[in-house]
Amino acid sequence: MEQALIRNFCIIAHIDHGKSTLADRLIELTGALRPEDIGEQVLDSLELERERGITIKAKAVRLNYQAKDGRAYRLNLIDTPGHVDFSYEVSRTLAACEGAVLVVDATQGIQAQTLANYYLAMENDLEVIPVINKIDLPASEPDRVLEEIDSVFGYKPKDVLLISAKTGQGVPPLLEEIVKCIPAPGGDSGRPLRALIFDSHYDDYKGVIAYLRVVDGQIIKGDRLKLMGQGTEIEVLEVGYFAPVPFPAAGLAAGDVGYIATGLKNIGDCRVGDTVTSLKNGAAAPLVSYRPPKPMVFAGIYATQGEDYATLREAIQKLSLNDASLTYEPESSPVLGHGFRCGFLGLLHMDIVRERLEREFNLSLIVTVPAVRFIVTLADGRQVNVVNPTDFPAPAGIVKIEEPWVKITVITPSVFIGGMMEFIIASGGIYKRTEYLGQYRGGSELGQRVLLEYEVPLRSMLTTFYDQLKSRSRGYASLDYEFTGYREAKLVKLDVLINDVPVDAFSRILPPDLAHEVGKVVVDKLKETIPRQLFKVPIQAAIGSRVIARTDISARRKDVLAKCYGGDITRKRKLLEKQREGKKKMKSIGRVEVPKEVFLEVLKLG
Amino acid sequence: MALYLHFPFCRRKCRYCSFVSCAGREADIPVYINALKAEISRCPGGESVGSVYFGGGTPSVLTPGQIGDVLATVRSHYSLSSGAEISVEANPGTVDFPYLTEIRRTGINRLSIGLQSLNDDELKLLGRIHNSYQAEEAFQQARQAGFDNVNLDFIYGLPGQSLADWRRTLHGALELSPEHVSLYALTLEPGTPMWQDVESGRLPAIDPDLAADQYELAEDMLAVHGYQHYEISNWARPGYECRHNLVYWRNGPYRGVGVAAHSCLDGRRFANTDSLDEYLAAFSRGELPAKALDEEIGSELRSAESAILGLRLESGISADNIKGSYRQTVAEMTDLGLMESSGGNIRLTRRGRLLSNEVFCRFLPD
Repeated sequence: MEQALIRNFCIIAHIDHGKSTLADRLIELTGALRPEDIGEQVLDSLELERERGITIKAKAVRLNYQAKDGRAYRLNLIDTPGHVDFSYEVSRTLAACEGAVLVVDATQGIQAQTLANYYLAMENDLEVIPVINKIDLPASEPDRVLEEIDSVFGYKPKDVLLISAKTGQGVPPLLEEIVKCIPAPGGDSGRPLRALIFDSHYDDYKGVIAYLRVVDGQIIKGDRLKLMGQGTEIEVLEVGYFAPVPFPAAGLAAGDVGYIATGLKNIGDCRVGDTVTSLKNGAAAPLVSYRPPKPMVFAGIYATQGEDYATLREAIQKLSLNDASLTYEPESSPVLGHGFRCGFLGLLHMDIVRERLEREFNLSLIVTVPAVRFIVTLADGRQVNVVNPTDFPAPAGIVKIEEPWVKITVITPSVFIGGMMEFIIASGGIYKRTEYLGQYRGGSELGQRVLLEYEVPLRSMLTTFYDQLKSRSRGYASLDYEFTGYREAKLVKLDVLINDVPVDAFSRILPPDLAHEVGKVVVDKLKETIPRQLFKVPIQAAIGSRVIARTDISARRKDVLAKCYGGDITRKRKLLEKQREGKKKMKSIGRVEVPKEVFLEVLKLG
Repeated sequence: MALYLHFPFCRRKCRYCSFVSCAGREADIPVYINALKAEISRCPGGESVGSVYFGGGTPSVLTPGQIGDVLATVRSHYSLSSGAEISVEANPGTVDFPYLTEIRRTGINRLSIGLQSLNDDELKLLGRIHNSYQAEEAFQQARQAGFDNVNLDFIYGLPGQSLADWRRTLHGALELSPEHVSLYALTLEPGTPMWQDVESGRLPAIDPDLAADQYELAEDMLAVHGYQHYEISNWARPGYECRHNLVYWRNGPYRGVGVAAHSCLDGRRFANTDSLDEYLAAFSRGELPAKALDEEIGSELRSAESAILGLRLESGISADNIKGSYRQTVAEMTDLGLMESSGGNIRLTRRGRLLSNEVFCRFLPD
């Protein structure tokens, strides 16, 4: 196809602003699928994604569109992940496009990730088409949102499309706008091949499937190619595009978006962001500088039942086939046994991995308190990376501790500013700036919306930060964050002991002035959640050998089945069997049976 | 063999009850009696039977004639030992002196009266059809009718029941001086009205520690008055232990007849359908009732059940039966003060009785 008739674009939005619904509508309107073939949200393929309403893996769909100018266009819609944890993937997706449809919810207005995604689009020189979605909802305030978009992004109301992806209202004009505003791809099919990998997944039969955007040159089945960043060599087993199911084709040319089957067994060898070129006479420079995504959050993952370790190992291996950002290393804990220290892009990534392991592999897991990577300088001058609080060196040997910081952007209605600032400061945040979004005063009693920028230690965001942000703003505030670098910190390790046995899963690194309060909260929560045992159980929080909080769980006294009704021994036995099964799901720590929920509860405390 | 007969009829369903019984079906009693007799006559006959137990529901809603009718069938079908224990469960709200006199004449020689409490507020809370006066009256009438082997059932651990409340009921029970006492901790069965009341906060939650105190108080008071604590929930004057229930605890053979009745015979546990309608329908078709349960008890499960049931008894189980992995369990439970050895037997301690589920579930095979 003529390159001038190709449009490569993506949809960017804050979570739940309707990106996937809009994608469905575009697919439906261009006839790639009939309405009845569209399940809900075609581009979200994982069950989990659908449940959470977020997209984890980018996908690309080719749409054929007959425009009003009478010409048939090929629109390549590339779906982007919708959460901060995946901003690297988002930026790679954007690099594969010439334009972006920026979706803003008519009831919510601009949110933190709207802004973050917009800036990413700007960095990638994309043509942005702003649209306000959900105008069919009674609570929609298009005027307020138009005003915000004008004030924040500088788009005049006449340049903003009002749509309802749900009903389809305003979507046909959007298709015209895409054709009209977004430039056709540049690039030259005659030059050496350069194609950007913007996503990949593992297929049992074809190996790693790479999704790519061809910028220069072309790809034909059987080509021998090379990844410029990683040096991996591949042979193209199959080439094609998505419509939206995979559709093998003769080849892909400059400007095209599609996939290649590589036969690679390890997704780590074919990472997002790398540039593909020909093995012989390849291009001189990659399209964008490639960097593998770096895990920022670490936690131990253990099977509740020790004997499930082998299943867990296999499950993590399998999962990582499709998730190059997930890192894992075996570790063992005196209390939890054998498990893995896993690295995640962020907390959401961690949650998703945990849920998938439990759901897809039928495992019962314990995840330790998440931690960041600390850089500790020792008295002998050595520097060590600590990703597990258990490995934290003794205080005497530490000269300097450094921890990662992030810049956070919070967008909130102005009535909540006070509470918001208070808690961000309490989390160790450093104020950077405030910006009022728009001048529009009508509509909301919550006041004008405000952007707050702070720097905070990533450590303090790992547990309840997001929940607090939401609860202190009645759910209105939104958050985006990006890594800024390492800074020196004053921190101690807090240990928690159950029945005198330190539980490494509960250890955490925190500022000394918070230790007492956190210790108390943790021991109280453990008292509340650990069922009474057959003996008295002391619960303690300690820094080194100094106990800073303690409580006791008194021994259980009564657990008896009284009546044997008409000789129904079977019912009694079944109740006992159930009780014993329940015990199996618990972790035994210092003879104390600790239900898995306890770990989750303590995890929530932060 | 012990013989259990189930009568799933009640004047009114108690608020805590999840057993198989229904109110307002009294009209079905005559045909049910026929169905039950038919089921008996279809069972292998001639066996020696040491105890017969009329359970429910409320078997005392039967007329003396119906009870006599059923007993006649039992006598003609089985070989009822002389001196066999023949018990009937009775609700104080359904009996009077003439009734009790008449059923005694049919051969009933043991009465188990469900008093449940001697506190009128508690009886109301439980949804019983009688008050405490009627309860005591029923006992006195049983005595007058000549019953010299009477059990009284009580429930403790009621929502809001104080230790003092319970002490008053126990005092009242001891004043009556029955031969046998059964004390059951209230179990809130999901779905029952009482469970709903507690779930929704209309009734206070049950305090397990208070229930434990109540149990220990009962142990102490009954011991002082000469009752032997021969099973977790049962006390008796020497020689008056319930022989029928002992068959259960000793993992002996028993046959259950009637709706939802359980049997344990020839290495199997099985039970009839829970549905009165199905039971009656099978009878009208001339068939045996459908089974709601039929399981084979292998040797491993059988020894586990023997241990679990036997440990309910004061005498416990023979130390010779503690083999293999049981040894470690016993050692662990002994360490925790839940089990002890006594004269070649292993048994639960006072604390262990209250935590018996914890002990028992460790005896189940993997």
